[in-house]
Amino acid sequence: MGKAEYKVEGGKLIKVQLKKTENTIEKIKITGDFFLHPEEIIEEMEESLAGRLLNESSLTELIRALIEKREATLLGAFPEDFAKCIMMAGERDG
Amino acid sequence: MAEKWRLLDTGLNDAFYNMALDEAIATARSKNLVPNTLRFFRWEPSAVSIGYFQSMDDEVDTVACDKKGIDYVRRRTGGGAVYHDRDGELTYSLIINEDHRLISRDFQKTYETLCSGLVLGLRLLGILAEFKPINDIVVEGKKISGNAQTRGMNVVHQHGTVLREVDPSLMFKVLKVPSEKIRDKMIKSAEERVTSVNRFLKREVGFEELKEALINGFRESFEIEPVPGENHEFEEQLAVKLKTEKYATREWDFKR
Repeated sequence: MGKAEYKVEGGKLIKVQLKKTENTIEKIKITGDFFLHPEEIIEEMEESLAGRLLNESSLTELIRALIEKREATLLGAFPEDFAKCIMMAGERDG
Repeated sequence: MAEKWRLLDTGLNDAFYNMALDEAIATARSKNLVPNTLRFFRWEPSAVSIGYFQSMDDEVDTVACDKKGIDYVRRRTGGGAVYHDRDGELTYSLIINEDHRLISRDFQKTYETLCSGLVLGLRLLGILAEFKPINDIVVEGKKISGNAQTRGMNVVHQHGTVLREVDPSLMFKVLKVPSEKIRDKMIKSAEERVTSVNRFLKREVGFEELKEALINGFRESFEIEPVPGENHEFEEQLAVKLKTEKYATREWDFKR
């Protein structure tokens, strides 16, 4: 299990816990004090991240696309920040 | 004539009921059973609430809470962990129809608009408060109020704290710290970053005086007339149900 924390400058704190196989996310949990509306999107985001390659730009795109598709709002962080924290956690697993 | 809002003062309740009642009011508002509402409440016993996206095990020392008889609950809103002291904190909620003139599609803008009632209320007491994005109110750079918002069912729900009195050492006895070594450091730094109504004014401001000032702040800033009211029967029944079936369950409180 890899764990990472990333404090967004002028924003909120993101925490990621993940388990990877090779370079693929197997299981992931994203927590923190950011705001995401509607809130339930977080579970959907975690599910859609499972099975994805640990590649920062494609993770950013995936998160951005999900937010757009669901007309969701992220406050205190950007999709890039989530991706960055996921990559940090990935490097620490195994 | 100014637009009438319902003013509720639900007094002291436990954390699970407090959070359940907020959701029940939002639900009742969405069904048009009740008007836009300003609610004040307090916590008995003192409690810790965590943001929707936080992990209870990561943020809260639940063993210490159990020993001290402090409740812990997950909120329906995002944001950070908050220690709600029974005698130190006044909490408010605003439950407003999403089509209301005060509500923007922009969350950040709406935080600023809704916080303007608190800012003005604090100023009426002589506290030069300012809104600080994303969701704080500060005085001389120190935090005096934290706020959190959610939307759903065509209703905006914002709740937040106003610190009447503050003791950061109490806060860090119930929140997890990375290590015992830095606990004192965190308390010191919180003492520098956080203030309270009493500390700033160097006098004892009672809950009633504080509420009165905030009501006046909301009245002027929102151009509304808050009218003291009661909970609708629907809200009371739903709150009891949401307490037992949601907010007081391990499933909800430890879900992340």
